Amino acid sequence: MPDANDVKPSRLAPPPVTRRSFLSLSALVSFLAAMGTALAGVLRLPKPTVEPGPVRRYKVGHPEQFPLGAETLFAEENFVVRRDAAGIYAIATTCTHLGCAVARTSEGFACPCHGSKFADNGRVLAGPAPRPLPWLEISRAADGQLVVYVDREVPPGTHFPV
Amino acid sequence: MATTAPPSETISATQEFLSNLRQLPRNLKDAWFRLGRVPGSEREESQATFHNLFLHLHSVRVHRRTLSPSLTLGLGLIATFSFVVLVITGLLLMIYYKPSTALAYPSMKDIHYVVATGRFIRNLHRWAAHIMVIAVFAHMARVFFTASYKRPREFNWLVGLGLLVLTLALSFTGYLLPYDQLAYWATTIGANIANSPRELTDALGITPYFDPGGLQKRLLLGAQTVGEDSLIRFYVLHVFLLPLLLVILLSVHFWRIRKDGGLARPEDPAGGWAEWGGKMQRVFEPLATKTYGLMAVVRGRRPPVNRGPEGTVMSWPHLFWAELAVFMLTIAITLVLSFYIDAPLKELANPAVPENPAKAPWYFLGLQELVSYSAFMGGLVIPSIAVIGLALIPFLDRRPGGEGVWFGTPGERTVAWQSLLFGLASTVGMLAFTVNFGWLRNWFPEIHQLWIIAINPGSILVVLFAGWSLWVLRRRNSVRLAAVALFTCFLVGFVVLTYFATVHRGPNWQFYWWPSQWPVH
Amino acid sequence: MKDPSRLYRWMLLLTSLVSLGFLLAAAVRENLLAEWQQRQRTYRKLLAEKATDARGRELLRNFRIELRQVSVPALGAVDRCVSCHVGIDDPRMTDVPQPYRLHPGEILEHHPVDRFGCTICHQGQGAATNFHDAKAEDAYWEYPLLPPELTQATCLSCHDVTRLPRQDVALVLEGMRLYEEKSCGSCHKLHGRGGALGPALDNEGMKTKHQLVLANLKPPYTTWRWHQAHFRDPAGLVPGSQMKNPTVTESEALALTAYMLSLRQRDIPESYLAPDKIAQKFRALSPQPQPAERLYRMYCFACHGEGTYGRWEKVFLRFIPAIRGPLAVTATRRYLETQIAQGRPGTQMPPWHSQAGGLLPEEIAALAEYLRSTAAASPARATAGGTAAVGRGDAARGQVLFLRSCAGCHGVSGTGGVAPELAHPVFLQAADDAFLASTIRNGRPQTAMPAFQRPGSAGLSDAEIVDLIAFLRSLATPPPGPTAPTEEPSRSGGNP
Repeated sequence: MPDANDVKPSRLAPPPVTRRSFLSLSALVSFLAAMGTALAGVLRLPKPTVEPGPVRRYKVGHPEQFPLGAETLFAEENFVVRRDAAGIYAIATTCTHLGCAVARTSEGFACPCHGSKFADNGRVLAGPAPRPLPWLEISRAADGQLVVYVDREVPPGTHFPV
Repeated sequence: MATTAPPSETISATQEFLSNLRQLPRNLKDAWFRLGRVPGSEREESQATFHNLFLHLHSVRVHRRTLSPSLTLGLGLIATFSFVVLVITGLLLMIYYKPSTALAYPSMKDIHYVVATGRFIRNLHRWAAHIMVIAVFAHMARVFFTASYKRPREFNWLVGLGLLVLTLALSFTGYLLPYDQLAYWATTIGANIANSPRELTDALGITPYFDPGGLQKRLLLGAQTVGEDSLIRFYVLHVFLLPLLLVILLSVHFWRIRKDGGLARPEDPAGGWAEWGGKMQRVFEPLATKTYGLMAVVRGRRPPVNRGPEGTVMSWPHLFWAELAVFMLTIAITLVLSFYIDAPLKELANPAVPENPAKAPWYFLGLQELVSYSAFMGGLVIPSIAVIGLALIPFLDRRPGGEGVWFGTPGERTVAWQSLLFGLASTVGMLAFTVNFGWLRNWFPEIHQLWIIAINPGSILVVLFAGWSLWVLRRRNSVRLAAVALFTCFLVGFVVLTYFATVHRGPNWQFYWWPSQWPVH
Repeated sequence: MKDPSRLYRWMLLLTSLVSLGFLLAAAVRENLLAEWQQRQRTYRKLLAEKATDARGRELLRNFRIELRQVSVPALGAVDRCVSCHVGIDDPRMTDVPQPYRLHPGEILEHHPVDRFGCTICHQGQGAATNFHDAKAEDAYWEYPLLPPELTQATCLSCHDVTRLPRQDVALVLEGMRLYEEKSCGSCHKLHGRGGALGPALDNEGMKTKHQLVLANLKPPYTTWRWHQAHFRDPAGLVPGSQMKNPTVTESEALALTAYMLSLRQRDIPESYLAPDKIAQKFRALSPQPQPAERLYRMYCFACHGEGTYGRWEKVFLRFIPAIRGPLAVTATRRYLETQIAQGRPGTQMPPWHSQAGGLLPEEIAALAEYLRSTAAASPARATAGGTAAVGRGDAARGQVLFLRSCAGCHGVSGTGGVAPELAHPVFLQAADDAFLASTIRNGRPQTAMPAFQRPGSAGLSDAEIVDLIAFLRSLATPPPGPTAPTEEPSRSGGNP
């Protein structure tokens, strides 16, 4: 293919198209850049900014509401709150296998879906569950109430001191 | 990939496997991009076109005129690409939209306020819809004024007419989905236009036995008033049925363009010059004595078999540059509009508090103006006359000539100007008369409805236009010129009525010079 | 010849750059410049300033810039107000500007934000993420943010107002008092009780501005601004309105507005209602009779005033009788009760029985008794002379008399004009002959009805009055009741 500079312009034989000209390249690059930016924006849309339904952060009350040694089950929110000498802690009651809600049993928790069993502190005793029941982060809100974050995990054994 | 595989007798299968594994990236690339570089020769350019599913709809070479921006103004492409934008943004909106009367409006609010890019995507959808409607109308006018509907393109003209109707239906069904006040009342008006044959059947007293209007309305709404059932019907039509039909018709439309020999254009002058094989050559001159027996499947007045170049250029890259540029132009216009102007979202639909004025979508406002005189005449008869008239154009005007040239036959431009003025004067005059003096009902309150159906500003305009066209037919002795006269008049009437109803009609359908004068009610 | 696609490549370059620019601008606008993001950045600075102890540092560490919302499915609310009002539950945020300040009072202790959201009390567009749209005064939203002084109106959705601390709902209580004092119930129905001249007010607080006549209100258009202006000058706001000007001060108008806004019929789940509200709803099912004096004030006063003087009402174009004047003495108790219960046909006086005005039978009886016992003027009761007049008269002669003396006001066939309709079965049933005779003879003091038989002057004779009554009775045919159709008009004079 002849280069644009090699051919003298003439009425009968104009220069053939120069396909790799700077213009083509910059047009193509800016086109791809615009499309890429648009695609990036479009791909952001399906990820929800806010989740429908109530917040995944529960104010469960003041520390005094949880006496030493007692356990409070939050069945709808899927966690239990306990208090021992070291402080307060929350354990999720959602099976780490495939997400079924586990039932409270005498030795701990049992999952009805695939037979996983957990100890009181969430350790796996039997079944396909790959890891213990997660311990959830607890913090104190500005007004003094305890807040349990269902989506935030802490290492097992982490107590919230009170 | 036989060429890249090493001879099998010298190496073991394991080595072959490993070798294939090493060459995997290259072979994958070859499988995807067959040529692997920008086509260098015309043979490669041709292959780039017809080896690609999405490009092979194009012919390998297109005529230079096809690329001329002043011939098509890119309107068909703009309509197509805005449809592409609509499909993409529409699919995205479907992720969050919930088609129920209780949830639709809140989900629109979520899209507006919290969905990432949601507000922008919705704006794009809205603006692309408007652009598509405008482009489809303008494309039709372009095809008419360049006489591109003539043989062998009559069928494609009909397909295009179907696409126009589908476009309007898609836009209209989308109007209800936000389920806000605007949606509710615009849809109510639209549905009652469908109900308008009642006016005739009521006047004749046969509604209890024969009620096509009521049937149409109930089919559309699934009830007597807009509600849950209407919403789901409109949703199904809008996101599935109508787009499917439109895609099918669109494919036929494109396919016909190819089969009808590309865009309509006048015959090339014999002995012209054309680019061929990288240099300019004389255009092939058919011998008067020779017959060309081998007929191509592609229709055309002369078979292109064994002929020299006809002022054509390679589709790759020229046509594709053009298409890409028009695509991006559509995107850019839509983006700019969406950046500055939000799609409207009014209060939640409230059947107890009508919008005043309750206006249909803008492209129906011309109709709504006519409907305000007589629902049956304006809502059904005149649109039917218009659609049937448009459909008949290529079958009544069969004399070849002027294809692919704006106002191609002698006298066309003059007639078009005259008709523009005539249409403008008669429509504006009719509107001015009606606004100032009222109509039959104001003068004879007891008059029978049949009189009003028969004689109203809308029907009088139709008669005026038809009369003008007949006069042109006799005076100029040309069917094409009569068609130009009629089409121009209808187009002007449509534009004027739409403008008038958009800007000058306020609460209670009263005349106002400007919307800012509308009283607060 | 030119390169056929050169133009298009330029076009592609240009449009691509324009698109890229606008896409990037849109991305910046949405992701960096959103109002709630700027607010939260400022709030994080405030948190940093206050992070003096371990708790404060932890709060600062946990703080993330993100959209926050309270979703309350039971109330149908998704409120994103907390995206900017980030500090409403932080007791340290007392000395910071809005929107970061602590929610005042102890209200959040009883109404946790997570359970109640914001808009159930404050109104406004909870879905919005910027203040203009959340306030929604000129956005497309039906219930804009209530101004602070009127927010108490929404307390009544879940509380019995009398059980709330008085100072918290003082304005609404004042409004309720004024509603009674200004006798609004004479024309407006509320909880099923009240007159029928004006619209019922049960859901007045949920009305949107589109349901009001805004033409004569200056923007911004909100329902409370409309109410305030309307209480000051009803006809000035709604041309042709028959509503009596309640003559209230600016602050009284505000109190009445607060009360109007509190009238809302929302479907709120019972678990959200205060026990006293539920008790109130149960009480409303079995209403207790109210004392007659209070009833008079609530339901009669607007039109009849003290009731001792009749007056010409220019809006109604008729006389409003003095119901605690001589009439109350002349008329029988049954007549008064029927008039109250059934209303006065052809006049603006509506029926007040339990299906209409909502008054209990014993309340109507008590009202009638109240009118009689507290009547201002008590001339000698005329019934003694009246009984003598009862007899058989000649309706034909009566008609001539009627046309001469009565038709001018009561209409040619008794259908009413400026004076009440006489040819109405309800009236004719309620009024006995003695009452009719006495009224014709003595007139109706304080109204345009003159005495037709004044002592010592010309007038109708007793016989002529009997004839007139006979004619009036003949008007009762054909009545809707089962009584009269067989009787001849001329012989229907006697009252059984």
